[in-house]
Formats: sequence, C-alpha cells, structure tokens
Amino acid sequence: MSGAAEILRLEGLRKSFGALEVLKGIDLQVARGETIVILGASGSGKSTLLRCVNFLEQPSVGRVVFDGRPVGTEVRGRDGRPAIRYREAEINRLRTRVGMVFQHFNLFPHMTALGNVTEGQRTVLRRPRAEAESKARAMLAKVGLADKADQYPARLSGGQQQRVAIARALAMDPELMLLDEVTSALDPELVGEVLRTVRALSEEGMTMLVVTHELGFAYHVADRVIFLHEGRVHEQGTPQEVLLRPTGARTRDFIEGHGVFRLPDAGTLRS
Amino acid sequence: MAYHWDFANVVRYWPILLRGLLATCQLATVSLALGLALGLVVGAGRYSRRALVHWPATAFVEVFRNTPVLVQVMWFFFAFPIIAPFEISAYTAALAALSLNTAAFSAEIFRAGIQSIAPGQWDAARALGMTYRQQVRRIILPQAVRRMLPAFTNRGVELFKMTSLASAIAFPELLYQARTIAGAHFNPIEAYTTVALVYFAAAWPVTRAVYALERRLRVAE
Repeated sequence: MSGAAEILRLEGLRKSFGALEVLKGIDLQVARGETIVILGASGSGKSTLLRCVNFLEQPSVGRVVFDGRPVGTEVRGRDGRPAIRYREAEINRLRTRVGMVFQHFNLFPHMTALGNVTEGQRTVLRRPRAEAESKARAMLAKVGLADKADQYPARLSGGQQQRVAIARALAMDPELMLLDEVTSALDPELVGEVLRTVRALSEEGMTMLVVTHELGFAYHVADRVIFLHEGRVHEQGTPQEVLLRPTGARTRDFIEGHGVFRLPDAGTLRS
Repeated sequence: MAYHWDFANVVRYWPILLRGLLATCQLATVSLALGLALGLVVGAGRYSRRALVHWPATAFVEVFRNTPVLVQVMWFFFAFPIIAPFEISAYTAALAALSLNTAAFSAEIFRAGIQSIAPGQWDAARALGMTYRQQVRRIILPQAVRRMLPAFTNRGVELFKMTSLASAIAFPELLYQARTIAGAHFNPIEAYTTVALVYFAAAWPVTRAVYALERRLRVAE
C-alpha cells in the first residue's frame, strides 16, 4: 500500500466503556479505493471500531489519521500523560467527509426519501436547494429508487429504506464510507438488493469499511478481510486467504460456525 | 321547592362576563407562551452534565410540581411583594405563578419527549456532520414535538382552567366575575352554571381540534 494513496490510518486505537475494554489496540491502514470487510463474532468490537472512525465514539487511546492529518490536538491530560483533545468543529468537518450507513437505517421519519437525502447537503454543506435536490434525485436514482423520492420512510420496505440511507450518505460526496451491518436487520429476500448496491459502489472505487456477516459478499467484493477477536485484529489478508485458508484458530471457528458458507455466483451479486 | 330561576340577571351582565373571559384567555395564553419557552430552557438544563445547571433546574421542577398552584398564586401575591421592593398586581402575581408552574411541567414533557427519540436518530444526524443545535432543531425536536403534542394539549387545557385560581387574589377573570354577579343578585346556581358552560365551550373545541391534528400527523409519519 503506497503512502500517497492512504485515506485512513488507525494507530494503537483503544476504546473502553467503563471497565470494559472493547478495542485493545487496533492498527489499520486504508488506501483510497479499497473495500475492507471486517468480520468477527458479536462483541468483538467491529461496530465500535467503525464508530471510532467518525467519532460517534471517542477513542480512549490512540490516533485516527484521516487523509494524512491526525485528528485532534495533543495536550497534557489531567494526570500529566499526553491526551488528545477533539474539537467539535474539527470532528464535524471530518464527518462531512465520511459517510455512515447503520444497521437500523436511522432514516429521519418526518422527512420524505428526498428530504432525507437533501438534509445534510442543505444544513451542513449549505448547498442551494436546487442543487441539493438534483443531487438527491441523482443519488436516489443511483440506488434504484428514483420513483420513491416523495415517499416517507414508513411507506418503504426495509431494503428500500436502507438504500435511501446509502443515498443519504453518498449525497455528501464522502471520501470514505462506513457500513455497519447494513443487511442484518433485513428480511432475507431483501438482502440481495442492498448488497448489489454496495457492490456497485465498491466497483466504482468508493473506499469502504464494511462490517458484515455476509461471508459470500466478503469473498466476492472485499479487497481485504480483517477478522476481529476480542478487540484485536486476529487475522487479516485477502478474502481467499482469510475465508478459505484461515490460519487463526478463532477465524476457523468463526467460519465453521457459519456453516458451509455458500459462495454465491459472482453474477447474483452484480446489478 | 319552587326555585325562581334568574338567568336574566346573568345574561344581562354579559359585558362583565366577556371581560372576564378575555382576562382568562389572556392569562392562559401569556402564561402558556412564557411557560413553554422557559420550560424548554429548564428541560435542557436538566439534561446538562454540569451540576451548577442541572441541580437548579431539577430543584425548580420539583418545587413547582410538588406544591399546590393555589399556594403558588397566593405566595406571589401576598409574600413576594414583602421581599421584593416593588408592587405586584394580581395579574402579574397570577402570571408569575402560572407561567413558572407551566414551565416546570413542560420541562418534564420536553425531557420525556426528547428521550423518547431513538439514539439512532442522533447517530444519523451526527454522522452527517450536524452541530448539536442542528441535530436538535432539524432532527430531534420536529419528531419529539409530535409526541409531546397530546401532553401539551392537556397542559394547555389544564392551564386554561387553572386561571380560575386567580380569582382568589381578586384578579377579575371569568370566575371572579361570576362571583360578583352571584353576590349581587343571590343567583349562584345560574351564575356558576353559566360560567362552567363558558369554560366548557371554550376548552372543548380546542381539545377536539388537537385530536384531529394528532391524527393527521400520525398519518404523515
């Protein structure tokens, strides 16, 4: 991975909730255009890792370096040890460049699909209404929902809601997308439409960190697979290495636990 | 018992009753407006992690929720002027008591309403890069206010009826006017019945209208 293409670097990232340490020192480099799938059992820290990247959770220790710039400023903490202080304005600027899609969609129920996709552009990026709306319509079309622009989320299926959520994140022109178990809350028959959308993004060169349990998706779409276990990177490599010839004991247990995972034909994932 | 009904002497005084009704409405609307505005501030204060903000806000809410409104009205009219260096009219005293009382209740309504919003909504707003103010104004409050609407309606109607307590300090609102008429013509049944009907006629349509509005908002969601 060449340094010039790096978009994100995590250095010794740790996160504790009270006495519970969820992340125990994560180092990770992400190059522009890369799709990285993060696997791991529940409680392994996958979601927390993603949430530390855009500071929905503030890391307890360690650094987040985004686009070559360390986030936050080093100060001396109360106990005299160095600490990092994060300013709200800096975090917000980072967040406009990093899109996130959630397990439970989290669409704004009081706004139409179009309103959801327009909101961040208007409020945060201060784009003029006409520009924001045409961008929103383009993004809805991209996820195959041009005809649902005026629907409220409650009138959409889970798969459609999740695609609106993807459009909402894309409308901000993010340089990195964080996808947190985006198909886990969906009925099985709706998973495919969302995965196809994500795959298309990956093929366009969007940089993505994807937490998922869909091993078939990881196999076909990921450039790199990372397996987390108890807050540490237990194993990483190409999808073929990690999924077909895992070396870590925990990785093997995890993959066997998923049964004989069926590799879908590449075609079924393609739009 | 051959009771001699005397509604004529009530109807004849309609200008007095009308003035009373206007005073009642003024007291109710002004204290509702002040109470809601202050309630939002106090409700936000109860959220604060700073003890210097959190504790006074909490104390305020508890004091006003756990003392009778009539006592609060009397206190502002009879006790407050003794410690404060200025005269206080019956209207001001009633307004102070009812506004602060409404503030205490609406602070709780705001707090419960905001807490009822799923954490994922905050996450989504933050992930877009919104400031705290934008999160609250654009995402949280519009949803929370819908959920608060029934509680605020109840509160508004309660407040409207509560203004009658101001008659205890001789503020000439609707009930006080009825007492004046009943005292002059010895017709309490007619006077108080009329006033009760006026209160009902004013409150009931409001209640119905808000029910209808709630139904419309539910459909939109």
